[in-house]
Amino acid sequence: MEVMMKSRKLLWLVTFAAFSIVVALYVFRNGEAELSQKPLARVSAIDSTKCIAPKEFMRANHMQVLQGWERSVVREGDRVHIASNGSRFQKSLGTCLGCHNNRLFCYNCHSYANVKPKCWNCHLSPMETP
Amino acid sequence: MMNEQRREFIKKTTLGVFAGLGAASGLVPAFSLEKTALPVWDEKPVPGKIRWGMLIDTRKCKEDCQQCIAACHHEHNVPAFKNRREEIRWIWKNSYRNVFPTADIAGVSKEIQNRTFISLCNHCADSPCTQICPTGATFKRWDGIVEIDYHRCIGCRFCMPACPYGSLSFNWEDPRTEIVDPVTAYPTRQQGVVEKCNFCSNRLVKGLLPACVEACPEQALVFGDLNDPRSDIRMLLESNVTMQRKPELGTKPSVFYII
Repeated sequence: MEVMMKSRKLLWLVTFAAFSIVVALYVFRNGEAELSQKPLARVSAIDSTKCIAPKEFMRANHMQVLQGWERSVVREGDRVHIASNGSRFQKSLGTCLGCHNNRLFCYNCHSYANVKPKCWNCHLSPMETP
Repeated sequence: MMNEQRREFIKKTTLGVFAGLGAASGLVPAFSLEKTALPVWDEKPVPGKIRWGMLIDTRKCKEDCQQCIAACHHEHNVPAFKNRREEIRWIWKNSYRNVFPTADIAGVSKEIQNRTFISLCNHCADSPCTQICPTGATFKRWDGIVEIDYHRCIGCRFCMPACPYGSLSFNWEDPRTEIVDPVTAYPTRQQGVVEKCNFCSNRLVKGLLPACVEACPEQALVFGDLNDPRSDIRMLLESNVTMQRKPELGTKPSVFYII
């Protein structure tokens, strides 16, 4: 009886160890890919080649970009954004959220920085989409 | 307070994780925002080249038909407040006396006096609402449409008495609570802004006719460019006797009526 209990415990332990190794490997490999400077080498759900501007620029200036878009679309009817590499985008919140399709993409950072933009008073928040 | 925020955050995060898992496994479609496609006019518009206008043939308009109103209000997430004081309307029906209050009714038949007339923003060429707006939120577009920029509206409501046609409604309450069947393709408004008909500028940019024109089963509404002498609307204006609302005020409405 006691031997059986022991072997069962061992089996659990081995299974757990194997599982944690797999998880650790997965996390480690993902982390490494995140750090490497070759985003194109990684197959990713979001095509970063299609962003309108580099990540660093957008992190700091997305509010100015969006405000500029709002102004030129509503007031001047200029609805096409031409990126520095010549690709064209519709000036729309849907363009951003079509790629950044994580529902918490805006919320996570805004809640961390404690900013409360008024976009979703009228526009449909990604968290409200069916 | 802190705790509540935390709870809310955890709730939302968990929801997001589940939604993400669902999307990854293909159970839930990833996202259902408006599809992004380049508009039909992708070059910058020339100001004053187009002047959109509408012609309403009131002879064809059926009294008990509400299809244009339903289509418009559905398309633009217009809330359905029952209370007359809070009512939001982009297009509605009214009697001859109310639509043409300054026209003499002597010589107007009983039938016409009992007819219902569609009223909407007239998108005047010389619009008093845009002239009075202190923030420039109500403005004249390059294509003759009088549009409200809801990003700029401060809710002062000067435009409401300035408009001689009563085309503007104010959001006294949060409109999101009273939208019957919300559509995801068009934003809502927020409490404290004025709203009105936008001549379906959101549909025009996709090359579609306004929702009311498309919904009318009698083809009583004709939409087109008033600056183009070969457009349908110009042809009909030339071949029919038409009326504008309160023309003596000099607002030059872009909406015409065949009586």
